[in-house]
Amino acid sequence: MRLLLASFLLTATLAAQPLIAPTPQRAGDAKGEDLADYNIVNSFETGYRFRVVEGNLGKFRSDVNYGNGIRLLGSHLTVNSKKPGTGKYFDEIVLSTQGLGNDPYQFSSLRVSKAKLYRYDSTWRWMDYFNPALTIASGQHLINTSRQLQDHDLVILPQARFRVLLGYSRNQQDGPAFSTLQFPDGRGDEFTYLLNVRRTRNEYRLGTEFEVLKTKFHVLHGWEYFRDDTRAPLVSPGAGANPNDTATLSQFRRDEPNHGQAPYWRVGLHNEAFKSFTIDARFTNSTGQRRFVSDELALGTGRFSAAQNRQVFVGGNARRPVTTGNLTLSWFPLERLTITNHTALYNTRMEGEATYGEINNAVAGLKLLQFQYLGIRTFANLTDANLKLTNWLGLFSGYHFSERRIGSSQFEDLEAPAKLDRIEQTNRLHSGLLGVRLQPAKQLRFSLDGELGRADRPFYTTSEKDYHAVAARAQWKTKRWSLLSKFQTNYNLNSTSLFVHSARTRVASIDGTWSPRGFVTLEAGYGHTHIETVTGLAYFSLGELVENDRGFYRSRLRQTRFGAQINVAKRADIYLGYHRIQDAARLGVALMDQAFPLTYETPLARFSIQLHKKVRWNLGWQYYKYKEKLLTLQDYNAHTGYTSLSWSF
Amino acid sequence: MDTFHNCSRPRSLIVTKVLRYWSLFLLFFGVLWAQPKDPYIGSQACRGCHLVQTQDFFRNAHTKADRGCEGCHGPGRAHVNGGGKKDAIIAFSTLTPKKSLDTCLQCHSKDMSRANIRRSSHTQSEVVCANCHSIHKSATPKYLLAHQQKDLCYTCHTDVKAQFSMPFKHRVNEGTVQCSDCHNPHGAPASNWRMGQRPRMQQHAQSNEQSCVQCHADKRGPFLFEHAALRVDGCNSCHAPHGSANPRLLNRPVVFTLCLECHNGAAGFGRTGEGIPTQSGSHNMADPRYQNCTACHVKIHGSNADARFLR
Repeated sequence: MRLLLASFLLTATLAAQPLIAPTPQRAGDAKGEDLADYNIVNSFETGYRFRVVEGNLGKFRSDVNYGNGIRLLGSHLTVNSKKPGTGKYFDEIVLSTQGLGNDPYQFSSLRVSKAKLYRYDSTWRWMDYFNPALTIASGQHLINTSRQLQDHDLVILPQARFRVLLGYSRNQQDGPAFSTLQFPDGRGDEFTYLLNVRRTRNEYRLGTEFEVLKTKFHVLHGWEYFRDDTRAPLVSPGAGANPNDTATLSQFRRDEPNHGQAPYWRVGLHNEAFKSFTIDARFTNSTGQRRFVSDELALGTGRFSAAQNRQVFVGGNARRPVTTGNLTLSWFPLERLTITNHTALYNTRMEGEATYGEINNAVAGLKLLQFQYLGIRTFANLTDANLKLTNWLGLFSGYHFSERRIGSSQFEDLEAPAKLDRIEQTNRLHSGLLGVRLQPAKQLRFSLDGELGRADRPFYTTSEKDYHAVAARAQWKTKRWSLLSKFQTNYNLNSTSLFVHSARTRVASIDGTWSPRGFVTLEAGYGHTHIETVTGLAYFSLGELVENDRGFYRSRLRQTRFGAQINVAKRADIYLGYHRIQDAARLGVALMDQAFPLTYETPLARFSIQLHKKVRWNLGWQYYKYKEKLLTLQDYNAHTGYTSLSWSF
Repeated sequence: MDTFHNCSRPRSLIVTKVLRYWSLFLLFFGVLWAQPKDPYIGSQACRGCHLVQTQDFFRNAHTKADRGCEGCHGPGRAHVNGGGKKDAIIAFSTLTPKKSLDTCLQCHSKDMSRANIRRSSHTQSEVVCANCHSIHKSATPKYLLAHQQKDLCYTCHTDVKAQFSMPFKHRVNEGTVQCSDCHNPHGAPASNWRMGQRPRMQQHAQSNEQSCVQCHADKRGPFLFEHAALRVDGCNSCHAPHGSANPRLLNRPVVFTLCLECHNGAAGFGRTGEGIPTQSGSHNMADPRYQNCTACHVKIHGSNADARFLR
């Protein structure tokens, strides 16, 4: 039994993607120790990380970003009342953390609860985000920000028929970044300027869940507040991006505070009073609003060295109310048959107005009153049936229908009232689904699913129009072996008489795990994802409109991985792993023929040994190699590693 | 007066009354005796054989269940009296997927996040509660998952596992983002973007929009000038949310192909049906400076100052 349990746990460890630390093995007794009326289980891992990077450090920071220094790599603490419900202030505390100290990805999760009285859950996350964005804006849009996310939820009387829900979430992004602007006009040069990013979103929630006449109700009211106080302080940006352009920008400043709120309601009900019928309904409404002003000053010279002085003022409001309604009916006419019907209605309109003023060389210039409206109303009705014919054969089928109406109007004019043309269009999508599930033996499962869809008037050229998807899966799982193979394909053809967009994605993979002995587990996997798209293009080149050209995109992703987990004498654990991703698409021969071949590989090794029943010593190394085929600008090799002690008190 | 009446009561009447009360007494206890024994036996009886499952059960959230073990496994007296008879108790390993789901939903249906579980893609693929949650051997004290969340999802979604190993990705493997931040494994209502049919398991942000804006609140708007693609077809129009070889999780390695695939003027598409507008004649795609569209159209997600997203 122990052998089986150990192999089960080892398999679980191997299923994870390679990540060197924290160490999965914990210190101390899994059963914990008793203290007064509580049982305590804990494990803390403290250690030192290091890295050595050759090549593009910015790209390494964008992809991996682990650095040097001492960390609390991970910790787990659970405190449980030995007699549930008898704890004075709490019955349960569950705390886990990761990367605290100075890791770029830090996380903590806390639960405190007392049976029948309260349950408090919180998560705190901090992410360091560095992205040089070399290939999309030549590094002119570099971002070096951090993001902090918090979620707090308190349920009062969690097991009662009447529950009170309280919640708070916060999302904060801070740090420097670059952006670009054109000066002196739309044909001018691009200049990079500095931004101090400062965005905050706060959300407060108050709600209740209660039961009346065998119907459960959920009512939640939330208030969401957003503030974007990002500023571009007065700077001297320097030279433009294009050496041939003689325009200069000597001074630039932009303030564009943008504050908004989105109060919302959510009401749900669930009824299962009838044995063969359940009803779920949901209604939501939110009214988003943003108030904004913008003040921009730019000084420099134009193409012909004439002094340019431009000031822009913008102020206005934007609104977006959203209403949704959902009704789900589940019917069980037979023990082995389930039929569900889901009806969804979604209605939103985006509208707003603003004044735009521009002063050029101290002369009042352009003055606009702007207005835009975009309304979307979607109705969807989805019916699915699931039939378990025998214990080894199940069938699934569905018919889905949706209709979407999009209304649009927009004007920019000097004097109101301007002519406002409203345009409406409707798109309908019908799709049918069919699936078969087979279980010829307890350890063996097969499933096959297909979907066929037809839309009559998609909004975008890349939207789904005539599509079909097929997915097949086979799984064989015993106590020692696990084998999973998948195949999936998606085709979409969106064409009119003179235009065609065709996209094809094929995914196939096979993964296996083998535990020949309780102390050894081996894992291997291979997968490929092939993407091919061809799309009609029209663009300008050397002043000429090029029509009927085609854009191609190819991706041939191949993923290979191996892993071996060995437990030596129940004291030491060794993990060896290798992971490789390769995009093997051939490079395009023309500008509109796109592919991005690269290789990204990460071997790793980890060793963990139990020094004492409450102390473990861990050591690990992970290597990263990133290599592009076209250019070497972003390539890097990096060695990262750590050594740590896991301890329990 | 009363004394006179009591004394004068006929003996037969007294006997009748005594017999009546006695018969009622017998009937009451007879009915009680005839009742079948309580089918529930209590969790203490389970400890005798199932020590591994019960000794650490005080840590388990299900310890709060009204009838202990029998709250989920049903009445246990027949099982115990039958010497551990397997078919006399609810064993989840032998239940059909629907039966297993029904048993858990007896208590767990009150949460609105499970309102669509009957029609979720997981249920339709016969992936039900016990496939992901392990009540007796959970790897996580919260939510009693059989493994850590990402490992659990990767077990089946191997293609997604590969995507999260790409150079640019959301930090799921690193532990700061979880699958359930964006997806509801118990099923979600019809999406509010695209045509409402796909994707099927994506969690809605509190404000009824795509889950991306929950974190990327600056892209949420509302803006005076919305890039309609966000609202009409969703963020996936341009981004691969799990992982990509391309910066900003873009679907294409360079920006201009991504933009030109829609902005090609093809008839029948767009707001007016006259095509999504092509670029202006001032652009020259042969010149590299025009190949980074977002170098000038910096507010591509939406702007309050410019319909062309220039500021």
